[in-house]
Amino acid sequence: MPRFIAFLFALLIALPVAAQTQSVVQTDNVRAELISEAGAIKAGEPFWVALRQTIRPHWHTYWKNPGDSGLPTEIEWTLPAGAKADPIVWPTPSFIDVGGIVNYGFHDDILLLVKITPPADASGTFHLAAAANWLVCDDVCIPEEGKFALDLPVGSAATPAGGTIRALFDKARRDVPMASPWPARYGVAKSGDPTLVVEAKGLKPETISGVYFFPSGWGGVANMTKQTATVTAEGIRIPLKKGEAQDKGGPPQELTGTLVLTEKTGGGAQRQAFDIAARLDPAFVPSAASVSASNEEPLSFMQALLFALVGGLILNLMPCVFPVLAMKAAAFARLAGHARAEMRRDGIAYTAGVLVSFAAMAAAILAIRASVGEVSWGFQFQSPIFSLLVAYLFFVVGLNLAGVFEISGGFTGVGQGLTAKSGATGAFFTGVLAVIVATPCTAPFMAAALGFALSQPAPQTVAVLLAMGLGLALPYLALSLTPALQRLMPRPGAWMDRLRQLLAFPMFASAVWMIWVLTQQTGPDGVLYALGGMILIAFAIWLLRIGGPATPATWMRRGVAALAVLLALGAVVKISDGPATAASASAEAGSKAAGVSFEGWERFSRARMTEAAAAGKPVFVDFTAAWCITCLVNERVALETPGTRRAFEQTGTVKLKGDWTNRDPEITALLKELGRAGVPLYLYWAPGADKPKILPQVLTEASIVAQLTAK
Amino acid sequence: MKRRSLLLSTVPLALAPAAAFASADLGKAAPAFTATDSNGKSWSLADLKGKVVVLETTNHDCPYVGKHYRSANMQTQQREAAARGVVWLTVASSAPGEQGFVTASQANELVAANKAAPAAVLLDPQSKIARAYGATVTPHMYVIDKNGMLVYKGGIDSIPSANVDDIPKATQYVRVALDKVLAGQQVAEASTRPYGCSLKYGRNST
Repeated sequence: MPRFIAFLFALLIALPVAAQTQSVVQTDNVRAELISEAGAIKAGEPFWVALRQTIRPHWHTYWKNPGDSGLPTEIEWTLPAGAKADPIVWPTPSFIDVGGIVNYGFHDDILLLVKITPPADASGTFHLAAAANWLVCDDVCIPEEGKFALDLPVGSAATPAGGTIRALFDKARRDVPMASPWPARYGVAKSGDPTLVVEAKGLKPETISGVYFFPSGWGGVANMTKQTATVTAEGIRIPLKKGEAQDKGGPPQELTGTLVLTEKTGGGAQRQAFDIAARLDPAFVPSAASVSASNEEPLSFMQALLFALVGGLILNLMPCVFPVLAMKAAAFARLAGHARAEMRRDGIAYTAGVLVSFAAMAAAILAIRASVGEVSWGFQFQSPIFSLLVAYLFFVVGLNLAGVFEISGGFTGVGQGLTAKSGATGAFFTGVLAVIVATPCTAPFMAAALGFALSQPAPQTVAVLLAMGLGLALPYLALSLTPALQRLMPRPGAWMDRLRQLLAFPMFASAVWMIWVLTQQTGPDGVLYALGGMILIAFAIWLLRIGGPATPATWMRRGVAALAVLLALGAVVKISDGPATAASASAEAGSKAAGVSFEGWERFSRARMTEAAAAGKPVFVDFTAAWCITCLVNERVALETPGTRRAFEQTGTVKLKGDWTNRDPEITALLKELGRAGVPLYLYWAPGADKPKILPQVLTEASIVAQLTAK
Repeated sequence: MKRRSLLLSTVPLALAPAAAFASADLGKAAPAFTATDSNGKSWSLADLKGKVVVLETTNHDCPYVGKHYRSANMQTQQREAAARGVVWLTVASSAPGEQGFVTASQANELVAANKAAPAAVLLDPQSKIARAYGATVTPHMYVIDKNGMLVYKGGIDSIPSANVDDIPKATQYVRVALDKVLAGQQVAEASTRPYGCSLKYGRNST
């Protein structure tokens, strides 16, 4: 009902305009009008006109690709000689489901923008005539048409039309999809189904919903009632279904269309649209892109297993897994010269340790998936808590290797202690430790593998992870089972102790590296907590080493040692205060190319803002983040346009930009004061104002220029 | 390199959404159907082996169907096809209560009024045939060869418009396809963009 009233209202307010331009056609279902953004035009200078359609409530007209049925609006121009009309610039379409048939089109009130270029010798009156036809449908479809005419005076300078008309054009431009700021590619699965990948790195998956790709034409991609896009920090991935067009000479070099998504921002949700031209990537063969036939490609699952196995193998070689190598070397050395059967048992126990650890990881994934649903796993590996605990572990293992202490009991918390034991138990825990140690070092690598595993049904998830574990254990297993390889190993002797002590140093190096990772996640404070914690742990070990009979003094020492360890672990709690920082730190790492640009802007600081405002200068503050799509769109369409730049310059506005990619506390505090949960946020201090004005989170060039030039 | 491969294989095995429509594949056996025509006669695709069959979805109130009947384009092609031994079946797939739904007698009246010449008008009020073929519009056209294989699907012609004047300028895809099929040749334009009104499937049955 409100829509219908709005429709009637639109009819009413349009009347005076109609009289003025004589360019309105009223049909049963659409009120169409040809409007011009220019009141008067200049010869040779392009200007914009639009066919405005005010559509009967619940009815729709069509986009350039109408979908499964329907037809797009067509405009045929009759222009003075030498004049040129460009093709229609379409607004972002809506998805319209007509009883299961997919249509792409428009409701309510839209502008179809067309750029007109008059000839250089135009003079007097420029006469535009257009014959348009459109299909308007609800349940039923009616083809309609209209003839339009518009006369514009040609002057020495172009003049704009009235404010109401200009506002319409301004809004319409905002509705037009923006050229994609990200590269895109697509691959074709064996089934022929394409998968689109938009490399929008550093996005925050939890803020993005409603992703849909509108193919720009018939045939390449089916018009789907539902698309299941996945958004990760790597980008957006949309498995599509192939269209009805015949394959003649393979898939086209380019897949074009409009990507629509909704971003949750500090002040609500924004629908954004981008024109995408994805190039064909022949090397990209989606393994299971088929949306409808998920079990048609057993090969792809086999491939996944193979990849996982190879991935596990490579874990052995990656430089950051040095501690694993160190432990392996120690284990080899210890085993050298042992009986063959013992050796075999050892290799199998090690493999079992690795596999059990991977199975535990799979169980954790399944549990998380069952309770939370869709999970983005990558961040867990980049959590500062994890980094700190692993740094501690490396440190303790290093101390053990260096001979500072030996552990003879069943102290399972420190794997190397157990690994020092000879026999199968020791080998088993070496395997467990290898996994624990290897896991954080290879976060991105593992995240990708886990990403695949995550998207699988439970049996596949487990299988993929076990394959990876097998890969990790394989070299050692092969060695322990192959006498020929064993013969290459040196004889045992005193060198073994020396080697063991030497191996402590790569362990310490790894601990240092983990602390560095921690500082990336938490800032310099992380060093204090980590190193402090290490001293406490070393102190506890020293206390425990004093040993002796179970006297009260021994118990005292044990108590103090326990306290020290507790304190060290207390650092974990301290560090977990800011879990969000880890996410943004990794977002930054992933989006160096798409970082916030400060060109033409000063870095925001509260001091600079208040100082400039107190000095009576106009101040514009832009709070943005690399992962904020709405911020990016505003920059492109409103903040960095030549018109806005000029206005900034002419008014001498101080431009400050605050980068919230990494949750800057100063900005966070200010956002909180202003009642905002996040970016984008735009502030404008008019000259001499005592407080800033909060601008809407959707900006247009006109709205900013109006703010800046308001008296 | 390996990392890239792994990344590439992180395709989600999306669960199949409830597919509203089947889709008929070219070069494969055309979906079987059995239906009653407007004169009470039963037709089954299986019985038509050995003959070339054309399916034409219809909705007499759809302006695009109207375009091809007002201009007599559809009727002309129906007669040509009949003369060449082709079985042309017009399929009325609109659900009851939807635009284009017809009773048997209404279907016959329309045939008479349009001077149409299909072999039969099949009544498909549950849209079973349309669904089996994945028809989205009226008119949506299909050609099935003598062996029951689907050899053409798509539009009636190459200019998607409601304008009768476009018909002479357009390539009549079905006529071209029939020429090829009857000559035992491959259809070059075997899948084209269908255009028209959305097929009026029932509201709660999809």
